[in-house]
Amino acid sequence: MAKSAANARTTGPAGRRIGRWNVASRIVAAVPANYLVTSLATACLARLLAHGLAVNPAEASVTATLLSFAIFATIALFAFGLRSVSRLWLWLAVSGGVLGAALWLSLGMGGRL
Amino acid sequence: MKEGLRQSMALLHTWTGLLLGWLLFAMFATGTSAYFQDEITRWMQPEITGSADPVTSAEGAVRFLQRTAPDATSWYISLPNSRSATTQVYWQAAEGQKRGKRADTSAVLDQSGREVSTRDTRGGYFLYRFHFDLHYIPVLWARYLVGVAAMFMLVAILSGIITHKKIFADFFMLRFNKGQRSWLDAHNVTAVIALPFHLMITFTGLVTLAIMYMPWGIAANYADRTAFQDAVFGKSVDVARSGNPAPLVAVAPLMRTASAAWDGKRVGYVKITNPGDSTAMVNIARASEGAIGSRGEEISFNGITGRPADHSMAKGAALATESVMIGLHAGRYAEYGLRWLYFLSGLGGTIMVGSGLVLWTVKRRTKLPDPNHPHFGFRLVEKLNIATVAGFPAGIAAYFLANRLLPLSMAERADHEINSLFLTWLAVFVWAVVRPSARAWPEALGLAAALFAAVPVVNALTTSRGLPASLLAGDWLFVSFDLVMLVLAAGFAKGARRAARKRAEGPRAVRRKTPEAMAA
Repeated sequence: MAKSAANARTTGPAGRRIGRWNVASRIVAAVPANYLVTSLATACLARLLAHGLAVNPAEASVTATLLSFAIFATIALFAFGLRSVSRLWLWLAVSGGVLGAALWLSLGMGGRL
Repeated sequence: MKEGLRQSMALLHTWTGLLLGWLLFAMFATGTSAYFQDEITRWMQPEITGSADPVTSAEGAVRFLQRTAPDATSWYISLPNSRSATTQVYWQAAEGQKRGKRADTSAVLDQSGREVSTRDTRGGYFLYRFHFDLHYIPVLWARYLVGVAAMFMLVAILSGIITHKKIFADFFMLRFNKGQRSWLDAHNVTAVIALPFHLMITFTGLVTLAIMYMPWGIAANYADRTAFQDAVFGKSVDVARSGNPAPLVAVAPLMRTASAAWDGKRVGYVKITNPGDSTAMVNIARASEGAIGSRGEEISFNGITGRPADHSMAKGAALATESVMIGLHAGRYAEYGLRWLYFLSGLGGTIMVGSGLVLWTVKRRTKLPDPNHPHFGFRLVEKLNIATVAGFPAGIAAYFLANRLLPLSMAERADHEINSLFLTWLAVFVWAVVRPSARAWPEALGLAAALFAAVPVVNALTTSRGLPASLLAGDWLFVSFDLVMLVLAAGFAKGARRAARKRAEGPRAVRRKTPEAMAA
């Protein structure tokens, strides 16, 4: 399986060879990092709707949960579609950081945000 | 730039599809069969005929439960719908009593409340549960695994769409006997024709277990899940037994009241808490076939006086959307026309996954350094493909055959029916491992064909409801079941013949390479 995996990734975008590390780092971005960012986005959206826009909390939570699968799938596609791995990780780190800070602030202020 | 994106998406499609493809194949196959789970159950309980009235069935079930579990904390009565004839009851043992096995606190009843025990089977319900609970492994692990597979499926579908260049031109193209090109066509046609179905079913499948996979939206607004559920379903009030016995109100009038409140829709579910006690409650839920939304209407009644009790459920656009998504996935609302469309789309999805798995090996065989001695990874994929694409359906056929062939008096009979499925699957896997793949393909497909063809024959020999008799009696359920078995047998036989011919022709047929085939 490992050998066939190596066969399959002979040439990548623009005909460059895709290295083992490139693929490994994209897999980490597409699965665990993606789940983390998606979870943060889902929680933030649920808070924003419930506290920022005064939506019923159950409705807010369910809206965010329903959207979460679309968010996850989109990030997974970007993890393999973006040409540059460093740009991919920059995007993930920035969005994870912003969402994480927003959630921390919102939870810290106890329902006022 | 665009070519680069398509190539990376092709890579993503190939590997997400392969990694969980075998599990997805089994999920698609059993999920598809689950659209006819009530019909399969009726076929597997041939002694039971006719239809059942929900009110009569509920009265029968209450009589059974009053005899069998008078002290239970609660009774759950799942009533027959318009397609089934039996009532499923469960009860929760009284506090202090030890909890037994599932079989000790559940029963299948006929309309008059007598236990159905002639042929112990889990019927179509087993295939439905396998679809998301799998078997032999803890349910929790199974559901996470199934969720990961579903997410891979969603990513594979989306990357497959991006990869596919001429999605509409290829819509009408199916070229037979062209080796790799034909496999690609089969994959594309089954994928594209039912594309809206595949997207819908995968996304809504994730939604059915969303709270498990993505709990953070709820965690952000609620201290715990109970608080969320109370907000959605109304506060659950578990009242302890008072110890003062009081006769339970008759359920029939309550069911008629509930039905009338729902424009005459059937009652699907009755829950009775603290039966026989002065604190008894009766909770009545609308049958799931009554509307698309899975979260149906409910009415609670006082279990002694029969007066309606307050029961408020949250309403809102998101909750309604979720309810409809789950309802769309399960398809319980579907009438027969739509139900067949669901079934055919599911079958298309099963073929899509199966042909995708086969395509992986067909495409790579031409690039192997020595096609006659492939490396381990290639051989493993090939063996697993045979075991899954031919072996799993063969297992389902064996499940149906075991239902007819195992002695009726056998202990744990229902479990042995299920074991037959997995033993057959295992046997095909072992066969695929020990035989050269080129021979194992036609043999395993031939076995699946033979087993499916045997189902109507064995049915005719062991019951009085064989195909000729069903045709004469106008018993369309049994006729359709036997015919579907024969169609599946013909499909697998055709596959076996083609695989055998391919072996005779040698690898020449797979040497053909087309530019589109390489891109996809």
